[in-house]
Amino acid sequence: MTTAVSIPRTGGSGGHTAVAARARQVVKAYGSGETRVVALDHVDVDIARGQFTAIMGPSGSGKSTLMHCLAGLDTVSSGQIFIDETEITGLKDKKLTKLRRDRIGFIFQAFNLLPTLSAIENITLPMDIAGRKPERAWLDRVVETVGLSGRLKHRPSQLSGGQQQRVAVARALAARPEIIFGDEPTGNLDSRAGAEVLGFLKRSVDELGQTIVMVTHDPVAASYANRVLYLADGRIVDEMHNPTADLVLERMLHLSPGGDPRTPEDFDARGRVS
Amino acid sequence: MTVLKTSLRNFVAHKGRMALSAIAVLLSVAFVCGTLVFTDTTNATFDKLFASTASDVTVSPKGVSDNDTRQGRIRTLPGAELARLEKVNGVKSVTGDATSQSITVADRNDNNIGADSGAPTIGTNWDPTEKRSVKITSGHAPHGPTEVMVDADTARNKKLKLGDEVRVIAIPGEFRAKIVGIATFQVTNPGAAFLYTDTDTAQRKLLGAPGAYSSYAVTAQPGVSHEQLKKNVVADLGTGVKVQTKAESSAEAEDDIGSFLDVMKYAMLGFAGIAVLVGIFLIVNTFSMLVAQRTREIGLMRAIGSSRRQINRSVLIEALLLGVVGSILGVLGGVGLAVGLMKIMGSAGLHLSTDQLTVKPTTPVVGLAIGIVVTVIAAYIPARRAGKISPMAALRDAGTPADSKAGRIRGAIGTLLTAGGAAALVVAGNADKAADGSMFLGVGVVLTLIGFIVIGPLLAGLVVRALATVVLRIFGPVGRLAERNALRNPRRTGATGAALMIGLALVACLSVVGSSMVASATDELDKSVGADFIIGSDTGQPITKGIEQAVHQAKGLTHISDVKMIEKARLTLPDGTTVTKDLSAADPTYAEDLRTPVVSGDLSEAYGENAMSVPEGLAKDHKVKRGDTVTVTFAEGRTAKLTVAAITSDDVTLDKGALYLNITTVERYLPAKLMPADTMMLAQAKDGQEKAAYASLKAQLHHYPSVTVRDQTDYKKEVKDQVGQLLNLVYGLLALAIIVAVLGVVNTLALSVVERTREIGLMRAIGLSRRQMRRMIRLESVVIALFGALLGLGLGMGWGATAQKLLALEGLKTLEIPWPTIITVFIGSAVVGLVAALVPAFRAARMNVLNAIATE
Repeated sequence: MTTAVSIPRTGGSGGHTAVAARARQVVKAYGSGETRVVALDHVDVDIARGQFTAIMGPSGSGKSTLMHCLAGLDTVSSGQIFIDETEITGLKDKKLTKLRRDRIGFIFQAFNLLPTLSAIENITLPMDIAGRKPERAWLDRVVETVGLSGRLKHRPSQLSGGQQQRVAVARALAARPEIIFGDEPTGNLDSRAGAEVLGFLKRSVDELGQTIVMVTHDPVAASYANRVLYLADGRIVDEMHNPTADLVLERMLHLSPGGDPRTPEDFDARGRVS
Repeated sequence: MTVLKTSLRNFVAHKGRMALSAIAVLLSVAFVCGTLVFTDTTNATFDKLFASTASDVTVSPKGVSDNDTRQGRIRTLPGAELARLEKVNGVKSVTGDATSQSITVADRNDNNIGADSGAPTIGTNWDPTEKRSVKITSGHAPHGPTEVMVDADTARNKKLKLGDEVRVIAIPGEFRAKIVGIATFQVTNPGAAFLYTDTDTAQRKLLGAPGAYSSYAVTAQPGVSHEQLKKNVVADLGTGVKVQTKAESSAEAEDDIGSFLDVMKYAMLGFAGIAVLVGIFLIVNTFSMLVAQRTREIGLMRAIGSSRRQINRSVLIEALLLGVVGSILGVLGGVGLAVGLMKIMGSAGLHLSTDQLTVKPTTPVVGLAIGIVVTVIAAYIPARRAGKISPMAALRDAGTPADSKAGRIRGAIGTLLTAGGAAALVVAGNADKAADGSMFLGVGVVLTLIGFIVIGPLLAGLVVRALATVVLRIFGPVGRLAERNALRNPRRTGATGAALMIGLALVACLSVVGSSMVASATDELDKSVGADFIIGSDTGQPITKGIEQAVHQAKGLTHISDVKMIEKARLTLPDGTTVTKDLSAADPTYAEDLRTPVVSGDLSEAYGENAMSVPEGLAKDHKVKRGDTVTVTFAEGRTAKLTVAAITSDDVTLDKGALYLNITTVERYLPAKLMPADTMMLAQAKDGQEKAAYASLKAQLHHYPSVTVRDQTDYKKEVKDQVGQLLNLVYGLLALAIIVAVLGVVNTLALSVVERTREIGLMRAIGLSRRQMRRMIRLESVVIALFGALLGLGLGMGWGATAQKLLALEGLKTLEIPWPTIITVFIGSAVVGLVAALVPAFRAARMNVLNAIATE
């Protein structure tokens, strides 16, 4: 059982090693025989603690699958995945659920909030489910940082899309998870709202020491990360540190299949393999 | 055309979501059709039976009534008329029938061989009339006073065989005889037990009238119509006898059975109607939810040019399909149900053959009409709502459908209706006359029910919140989620709960009335019955002289009171009016056994020579005072001038409105052979000998299985058991409505789970365990069920209490709320909620997290 040991630079609770999550020789395949589709093909990856990692890749590259597997939402065909020192591959649903609840935070592209709960109830939901009391000071800080102080009693339907995503971010942060996974967290937002959310994610990494992994197809979004991983055909084919939007875009065009330059829109968010 | 196609596709695509609605339609239609098929089959069976047994013309004594059996009265025709009838023009042959229903047949162990169903035991002479419907299948026909034959069903049920000895207790006395034959019915035996003797034995020992007959069966010569034959017979015998053609006597017999069947039919159709009503809620919910889930799709249809009417119609066509499928299955189910019902009746003694299974062409028509019309009507509101969806809906993010707020107008209307209903109930409770009151009660019940249904969604908010603070808080955040989900769509929760409310309200109401009946009877027994023992027949058999004598031989009694009912005495009152009344003739000790209060005079004096008592109401209406003389003409007897010695209070429950007089007074004016048998005997034990006296009475009556002795404790228990049985029967019939309501809960939950797929995925992703997910859904279900139960029980207890206040005028003086039943139903509802949530909760917990999140 992890306890809320607060290590300022790691942000999350109880992380000790420099690597927050690891994938080792991870294979994810669907179907069998002739219809077999390999979504992840012997992927090895280390997610550094206290860093903002973006996963990019064209549609069908397996980027969402990788994130889902790392987050314990999906099972792998073979290989191992570790969160900190815990191997999560092979865990039963019960343990996996607990792991997600206590050690992982999620931000989805859309529909992040329960419509029946107010903003603050949504934020504290993972802790409520776990039967833990939220840490008051931390919660206040999170809420203040995301700029939701005045809207805590509102239901999701009374919030704008950007506000809803900020609530989702606050929820992910409030429980101080070891690692937060974002699945196109700004995919449904206009550029201004998206920039707001991304800026906030970046600050939580820089200032709170949070570890974040984000799947995106947007070079601008990726540019907020410390490190960008490029996936193609289920393999990690490249990475970039301290990216800028232009560099990301250039690299992506370069990586296009057959060297045929495409517009970024072709690297489509619908690449989520599910 | 396209409308039809999309409807069909939708219907097929959502067949799973339609399944429970279809079952609801099926059950209701099946119940309606089952009832119709069953009653039609029963009617057909009896028609055939009567047609096969009735003679061309039947001649019977005048004045035969249903009371004859209990009164021990046997009416006969002189045997000489047989020869006279034979000479009547157009008569081919005449047979004399000597039949008595005032008999009890006991086997070697003094057990009654009569049907357990309460159908009569019929003793009759083995004559050609019987041979039309019965064949001897073993042994031979009875000859002489010691031989009898029984019917095969009785022989089988009571394990009788050839050579067994039976004891026949009849009006003239009892006799022993040996079973020498067993006869089998060639048509369906309605359930009565038959005992056959030869004609002489039947006349002597069953009728007590040697040479006489209870009726004559006349057969017409070829070419002579029954009507003509009847005319000829009447011309010859005069109007002193009753002459009926075959059609007339069949019709009369059918009327008796038919009125009973009609009561049963309408009662069952009533319960089916309640189930239909409950089913409407289920269907409304289903279509509301399907429309809500399809909002985006419908928006798209509108955007690309579908008209409102087309959308509206497409939903209605889906409802039509549902109605058709459900009703067709329902009609088939109904036939199955009828067959099942016939089997059950068979084990209860009413043998109906499936060969006679009668499905009138109207039955499927009625079934289909009800199923289809109800479904389409129920879907009308959701369909209209679908039509109102704007094309913009296509562009909006679907998410979950917006919470529909229960409107203010709805609240106002509902409150108004409920208030009106409550006022009517108050008026009913305070009514002076039962007739006025029952009208207000009916209005009150209907208005409060509709009122509750209308404000259901508003009440849902209140009640669910209240329940949540009591029940759900202990479950922490999962409880809170369940509460929010139950509150999310108050209209849906309201409708689901209301469906359950209807059935449970009736259960609560009837249980209150039932237990009040028991409590009132018990109170009344304690208050006014002084007798320790009550002797009477549960099967309507007379207390014969033999039984009377046996009772008088019991030991440890201070007195025994005989009570007789003197029917149809004509009273000429001092104000000159003449009324026909039944008189209660009893021994003077009856005044101690049943302490009827008097408003004037002394009740014991009413038992004096040529004295009587009259009840308060009659005295008031006709200004009868104590000391007045009343002229009493006894039916078929002489006329007496009796002095009014007491006026009894009408504020009683037992013997209300009775006119008392001494049996010895009656004896003076009524020939001994017209003196009816006791309807009841009451006895009091000597102090301290209650137990011994009870045992002695039981021993004395052991040989007479048709009568029962009960002490007050037994009697109270008997009342309680009888009320309990009746209630159980009604609960059983209400179970249908409750099952449909429970299906509604399952339906709502199942559709909610589908609707909230994404939320479920999200919750699972952020760490809600499967177990917590299941619990959340179960708790939601429990809260909805308890909401329905609370409303229903509250409403029902209100109705029941009002009914009791109203019926206090009829003797239902004590209100008793059966808390154990109420609490059991409440807790049972929670359990039902848990059960209803089983499958939806399982499915929610099993959902694949990723797929669930990705659902649109």
